[in-house]
Amino acid sequence: MKYILLATLAAVCVFIGFVFSRKYRRRARFYQALLYLCQKFDIEINYSRERLKNIFANLDEKHKNDLQGIEKNFISFLDGTKPLEKATLFEGVTFLKEDEKDLIFTFFKSLGRSDVDSQTKEIKNFQARFESISSTVNNENKKYGSLSIKLGIVAGLLLVVVFI
Amino acid sequence: MLEKIFSDEIYNILSSKVNIKSINEIRMRVNKPIVLLIGAQRTFLGLHGSTSNIKEAIFASKIMIEDLIFRASECSIYSVNEQIKKGFIVTPGGIRLGLGGDLIEENGQIKTMTNFSSVNIRIPHEIKNCSLSAFDYILSENHINNTLVISPPGAGKTTFLRDFIVQLSERNYAYNVLVLDERGELDIGTDGCLGNFADKIAFASKKVGFENGIRSLSPNLIVTDELGRDEDALAVQYAINCGVSILASAHSDSIESFIKKSSFQKLIEDKAFQRYVLLSMRNGPGTIEGVYNENFSRLRL
Repeated sequence: MKYILLATLAAVCVFIGFVFSRKYRRRARFYQALLYLCQKFDIEINYSRERLKNIFANLDEKHKNDLQGIEKNFISFLDGTKPLEKATLFEGVTFLKEDEKDLIFTFFKSLGRSDVDSQTKEIKNFQARFESISSTVNNENKKYGSLSIKLGIVAGLLLVVVFI
Repeated sequence: MLEKIFSDEIYNILSSKVNIKSINEIRMRVNKPIVLLIGAQRTFLGLHGSTSNIKEAIFASKIMIEDLIFRASECSIYSVNEQIKKGFIVTPGGIRLGLGGDLIEENGQIKTMTNFSSVNIRIPHEIKNCSLSAFDYILSENHINNTLVISPPGAGKTTFLRDFIVQLSERNYAYNVLVLDERGELDIGTDGCLGNFADKIAFASKKVGFENGIRSLSPNLIVTDELGRDEDALAVQYAINCGVSILASAHSDSIESFIKKSSFQKLIEDKAFQRYVLLSMRNGPGTIEGVYNENFSRLRL
């Protein structure tokens, strides 16, 4: 019985470590998807003049998943079923900081509002800012993401040793 | 389609308190009352429907107009910028928004329009069989006479052209029809609105559309809206020389004033058009006032 409890305790510690590391991974993937979106916009807007809704609808599943439902919420706005508000855009998204949400919200609010040249410049500006955040987030993921799992394992083992 | 471009507030009034199918035009100007054109009558849009009392009218705001244009572009202004440069946007349902605002020019070229201050929403209507009483004058002995439909703005030229294409199709005249839809108004996107034998080139100038269309689609008949410039007349001449029949329209309120238009002089002298159909709004849009031959002698009506 004691060993089962200890094994459970160790598993819980590893799980907590995993939960913390997932937050970093999600952030990193999210910003990579956002950068991909910017590149896609740049191409579609300049060459095919594709409408926003089609650009979002034609995103591949991987990037859709990584955007954590933001694209769905934005499509709801394009369809006229939801207003474009910060709260509705980031519904269910918990891993972004408030200032990051503000920036991303401003980005989405600017989409589709101007002619090709202005829109392209605007997207490039946002892209540069997202790249900078993405690089920080990637470093955090490398540094703290794996560290969280390792700490979880170490903490689990330590507790097992202490209780044995 | 109106529900997609108007805010819920305005659309609810239009759909519940006005006979939406009877509206031909809606005009919005910044800080001015919203004006409806119903039949040939202008009224204001109020909270309780159409009204002649300006105090009851809803006033359009700048935000309202910008929001409308944004929605009409399917939330993608950049995708319709070429149209905006020409002063209009056409929605997928064929609703045309004429735009007023500040044109931005760079190196002598129009770059875009900003600071929108007014919008004129023209709503297309199908008037079934409206071309029927002129049909036999245009199509005689299995030959389509080159025909010009003449009317003042809003009197049903486009509706006439669209109906003629449908009549051809319904009567199984399998002519290859090329619809050169320069402003995207002829094809309103409803089922069968251009019949079964029509190809379409949209948003191209007459010159480019006629040349490319004749080369690539070998039409028997080209249908196009609103001739007016000298280059349009040249494009028509080119098509006729290629043996293609033309059904087109032009702005004018009478045959007499049309004859004086300089850009049509060569076409009139060459008797390029064998038929002229004059429309008016006397009994509502699409009223045929007369059909004339190449010498402007009235044939009927």
